[in-house]
Amino acid sequence: MRFAKSMRIGLILTIICTMCWIALPVSGASSDDEKLRELEQEVEDLKAAIEELRTLGLAEDRLTEIERRLEILAEEMEDLKVGEAAVKASRDQMVSGLGPAASKVYQEDHGVSLGGYGEALLEFFDDTRDDGSDSGEVDRFDLLRGVFYFGYKFSDHWVFNSEIEFEHASTSKGGSASVEFAYLDYLYRNGFNLRTGLVLIPMGWLNELHEPTVYLGAVRPRTENRIIPTTWRENGIGAYGAFGGFNYRTYIVNGLDASEFSANGLRGGRQKGAKAKAEDFAWVGRLDFTSVPGLTAGVAGYFGDSGQDLEDAGGNSIPVGTSILDLHVEYRYRGLELRGLWARAELDDVDRLNEALAYKGNQSVGEILVGGYLQAGYDVLAGRGKSALIPYVRWEQINTQQQVPDGWSANPANDEQLLTLGLAYQPIEQLIFKAEYQNIDNEAGTGVDQFNLSMGYIF
Amino acid sequence: MGASIWSTVLITVEEALKLVFPDANTTRQTLFLSDEQRARAEKVSGAEISSSLATRYVAHDEQGEILGWAYLDTHRVRTLPETLMIVLDPDGTVRRVEVVTFREPLEYMPREAWYEQYQGQELDDDLALKRDIRPVTGATLTARATTEAVRRILALHAIVSDGERR
Repeated sequence: MRFAKSMRIGLILTIICTMCWIALPVSGASSDDEKLRELEQEVEDLKAAIEELRTLGLAEDRLTEIERRLEILAEEMEDLKVGEAAVKASRDQMVSGLGPAASKVYQEDHGVSLGGYGEALLEFFDDTRDDGSDSGEVDRFDLLRGVFYFGYKFSDHWVFNSEIEFEHASTSKGGSASVEFAYLDYLYRNGFNLRTGLVLIPMGWLNELHEPTVYLGAVRPRTENRIIPTTWRENGIGAYGAFGGFNYRTYIVNGLDASEFSANGLRGGRQKGAKAKAEDFAWVGRLDFTSVPGLTAGVAGYFGDSGQDLEDAGGNSIPVGTSILDLHVEYRYRGLELRGLWARAELDDVDRLNEALAYKGNQSVGEILVGGYLQAGYDVLAGRGKSALIPYVRWEQINTQQQVPDGWSANPANDEQLLTLGLAYQPIEQLIFKAEYQNIDNEAGTGVDQFNLSMGYIF
Repeated sequence: MGASIWSTVLITVEEALKLVFPDANTTRQTLFLSDEQRARAEKVSGAEISSSLATRYVAHDEQGEILGWAYLDTHRVRTLPETLMIVLDPDGTVRRVEVVTFREPLEYMPREAWYEQYQGQELDDDLALKRDIRPVTGATLTARATTEAVRRILALHAIVSDGERR
């Protein structure tokens, strides 16, 4: 196991975090059942008392009002018993016998949380490339992903979160079933919480926020596919929280696997938590400024080796130091949403890596990969009910072989510009339909334009 | 939101009241809504009123002058509930919104500054996401639920106050 110089500080931070974790106290749990039974009894007693008063000749309308109020109270208790979301937090203060703070009910209540999201994508490809040759592409209609979210709250401090993802509908047709993330959180306080397990790498926009309703575009931006390979998850441990006007995350994770890098980018190098090679580790951190409503601006960095014990012909290890940096900003005002991302990756030992992977000519892995996009959308229905209709435009530029080692050449097809024009419609907030046209150019003239339709949901 | 702790229970009701009305006498009131009041509040706010029972605290100074009201509102965010304390000034506009409990993952909870957008809001068309209230990327459902809750409480308060004046 080796650590790149650049990540030593991160490693020390993480070890300190882990030690703190072990030293933290564990909170207990108890039940409200007994208190509820007491309350039910109390309501019954009160009902009997009213009947008694009625026989004594008290004003009928006054009694009816008291009865009405009792009924409301009884209904509320029923809600509480079945654990409905709509319970009033402070009901425990209405009747003596319960604790003073509304929050108590919740302190003692734990359980499973369920959710999910998914998207289907229909892609129509142009029959010809930009240079007029046959594109050879076949139109495709794919249930891209169906994802189920499971969470479990063990106590106020210990929470488990996970996403189980089915991609491309069926494993018998090349699809996959994956745990997209599964981590344990120790919630300590605002500024400091701990996390371990299969975590989402906190880079770019879509890696952590990839539910179809939270981004514009039927197809994810290419920068967040090849340089920040969404959905990028690795096993690790770290901390997150908020302080001042900022949110941060800092994780140590197993590094990427360089033996799967290609001229197309870093996507193949993800280990996805699956028997991940753990010879090399990486530090990844993110800092976002979040204290002005509507504005999020930040930076994220990933530093570590990706060699994972890869050796050259002479038996010498190839560390493949990998650093990725991103700058991201989003601004929202009324119906307007603007988003920008710039990402740059730099790799060491690419010459030896190419040799070890038997790449030839222009198949070299990029020494420098650069990509970014600017995107604007405007909800023309902003504020009028729950629907949204958002025309959007995105300009993207990416080159996964911005620089290759001496003696290697870059494939101009990897130097691309994409212009996306689309329209997103949300009948309600949790559903989205998108239609978009993508003009895809590259320096080799072999770009294939496409038209996409997608459907997405979240619950 | 003051100094809150990021666990499920962020602040107790008592603590929140002390924070909002430091030197006031607060009295707890239970409101029993009639079906007609409920329906009217739903219509005016566009938000669901799931119970005939509402809880509020009224704050008085030493002379008995009303300093404001604090309503509690519990509702579902995604699959789990949160409880907000929605504080109104004597003129019926929003003074602040305090998160009392939050049971969804804390990533879905907006930052303090975001809640300040509700300050001074009254029940009109601009009290909506993508109008006066800016959405939060990654916490859309929380933003929606909070806005609905504030609209609901403003409507409820107007209707209850109206009833009291009669």
